[in-house]
Amino acid sequence: MKNILGLFVALLLGVFIILALDTSASFPEFGDIDLTERVSDEYLDGNNIDDVGSANIVTAIVVGYRGFDTLGEVTVLFISALGVALVFGGVPNKQNRLDLKFKPNFMLKTGSKIIFGFILVTSLYIIFHGHLSPGGGFPGGAMIASAILLLYLSDDKFRSNVKGFKLLEGIAGSLFVIIGLLGLVFATYFLQNFLPAGTVGEILSAGIIPIIYVLIGLKVGSEISGIVDNFLTEGESV
Amino acid sequence: MSPILLVAVPLLAAFLSILSKKLAPYLLLAVGVFNLVILFFIPLGFEIIGGFNQPLGINLLLDTYSKIALILINVLIIVIAFLNIGKYNKFSSILLLAMGGLNGLVLTNDLFNLFVFLEISGIAAYLITSSNKKPVKTFHYLILGAVGSSLFLFGVVILYSMFGTLNMVDMIQKIQITNNYKELILPFTLMFIGLGVEAKLLPFNSWVKGVLGKSNTLSGPMIGGVYAAAIGFVLGRYINNLFMFEGNLLIVVIALLALGILVGEAMAFSSTKVREILLFSSIAQASIVALLFVNGIVLWAVYYIVAAALSKTVLFLVINKATKEVGSDEISKLKGLFSNNLVVGVAFTLVTLSVMGLPLLVGFVVKLNFLTELAVNNQIWLIILILVASVVEGIYFVRMLVKLWYPEDNVISVKYNLSFKVVFVVIALILLTFGTYTAPLKNYDNTIDTIQEVVDNG
Repeated sequence: MKNILGLFVALLLGVFIILALDTSASFPEFGDIDLTERVSDEYLDGNNIDDVGSANIVTAIVVGYRGFDTLGEVTVLFISALGVALVFGGVPNKQNRLDLKFKPNFMLKTGSKIIFGFILVTSLYIIFHGHLSPGGGFPGGAMIASAILLLYLSDDKFRSNVKGFKLLEGIAGSLFVIIGLLGLVFATYFLQNFLPAGTVGEILSAGIIPIIYVLIGLKVGSEISGIVDNFLTEGESV
Repeated sequence: MSPILLVAVPLLAAFLSILSKKLAPYLLLAVGVFNLVILFFIPLGFEIIGGFNQPLGINLLLDTYSKIALILINVLIIVIAFLNIGKYNKFSSILLLAMGGLNGLVLTNDLFNLFVFLEISGIAAYLITSSNKKPVKTFHYLILGAVGSSLFLFGVVILYSMFGTLNMVDMIQKIQITNNYKELILPFTLMFIGLGVEAKLLPFNSWVKGVLGKSNTLSGPMIGGVYAAAIGFVLGRYINNLFMFEGNLLIVVIALLALGILVGEAMAFSSTKVREILLFSSIAQASIVALLFVNGIVLWAVYYIVAAALSKTVLFLVINKATKEVGSDEISKLKGLFSNNLVVGVAFTLVTLSVMGLPLLVGFVVKLNFLTELAVNNQIWLIILILVASVVEGIYFVRMLVKLWYPEDNVISVKYNLSFKVVFVVIALILLTFGTYTAPLKNYDNTIDTIQEVVDNG
């Protein structure tokens, strides 16, 4: 009975959403938006692009115009990782790896270690070029964590240095906020760019944006790696 | 001094706190005190972030409305953190994040930014309730909260595709130009549901019983006091400025809120567990707050939130401490709790009487004033409803108080630390002081929320 009622409410909400959006004159058809009346038009403005200095406009929005949101999103990931550690984490150094159902052979272990290097280099490339090409700290950080996950899955004895990751994520997060605060000191506002914007398209451009993206990459990578470790270990709870 | 520090410093401290677990609780207290001190040096007004003017970038708004909220939130977090020092140390980083998140929630003037802070403070709340050691109940809360904030985000997305901006002031101006509120029913409903889950409004509040009914000295006052107040302020800001409830939608919203008051009081009346009585009375209070905002009674709704947050903090602390030592929160098991704890008993009684709205206490002043304003608005039915609710509230609270005062054969002894007693007495004295000396309360009026003014003057 409860399920049927739930289904009914969900369907009702769906019909309501479709009808409301279909009849609304303010809700634009796909591709019908008049950009000149919108904030997004200013993101594409040539002068603004030169001011911010990021060739990748998505990065300019994510780390530049809405950098405060990104600090918030990094915090969301941070607190989620804290939560996983709180629920799964036991007494330090007393956790055991969960067993794999198979015995990894030499080829798998060594091959994964070689691939690990490639993935790591690629992820660093993606992080460092976040302001030039698609990518940046979040996807790059997730790739770092996927490389760590590969090592966990290919080697049943592997444990990453969880304490090192904790240190890294704490420091990277703090530096993000400190760079923001430096904006208050050297410029006027929080997270304001206080370095030269440089020439759009060069690797050393866009002021603080690449620095923040590197920090985000390190933080995301170490946080997700920490979550991976928490899920793949077990031990006595505190 | 910039209001951004109120958010940035707690986040910085939270990132640093995982490096040293021993220092974390003290870092939390230090940051809380730091926030309170700088609050008095920050000028009121807008603060842009990143050097991008609105609506291009994100900005914060500190006005009297958000200042009251910030003082309340930070004071209560400091008090709760101080009383729980040594017991819930591993929650210090999470409390720091909750502090930053809640401060951002009441400060931000940007809809997506609001969602981000809703996420931060929401996840912090789930983790705080995990200290109850009732994982299934916490999971229930997590699911409802996640669905609620997704709906809120969906509402924001629709508003953004309609108006092309996320800045609240900018959006209100654009809405006023369009002047077609029928089209906005969908996004407003979705956002109202999203906030309604956190604000404990009926019918989105099924998580409350499982979470607050099993709460402890950390999660009880945090969720029942601090979070309830912060979300009340956010809801008020949006009901007052953005949500244009008109026609049928207005009737539906008022009916839902009225039902929330009735159901809350009825459930509290029929419960025999103290914590459940408190949580159901919180549900009724949340509905009253929303109802006042819907009727444009801003100032007294704000005072009501403040009084409710202070009272609920004391009530949950007293009861959760006793429950932990006695092992049950049935009224019959807690009989005579106050016969050995005179000071705590008197403070608890004063606070309860204030919640009921008895003269000489601040609850009475607030209730009298908002009922008067409702009368000016010709809302006779709402007045009758609130009066009936107050009578029901009076009956179950007096019934509870009598039992807590008069002992049975086996005397129970619960020890309250000095720090607990000081907090109880101070809060009771605050309620008593502003209940008898009401002049300072009338220094302000409904214009403490300045968004409308900014919208009109550009």
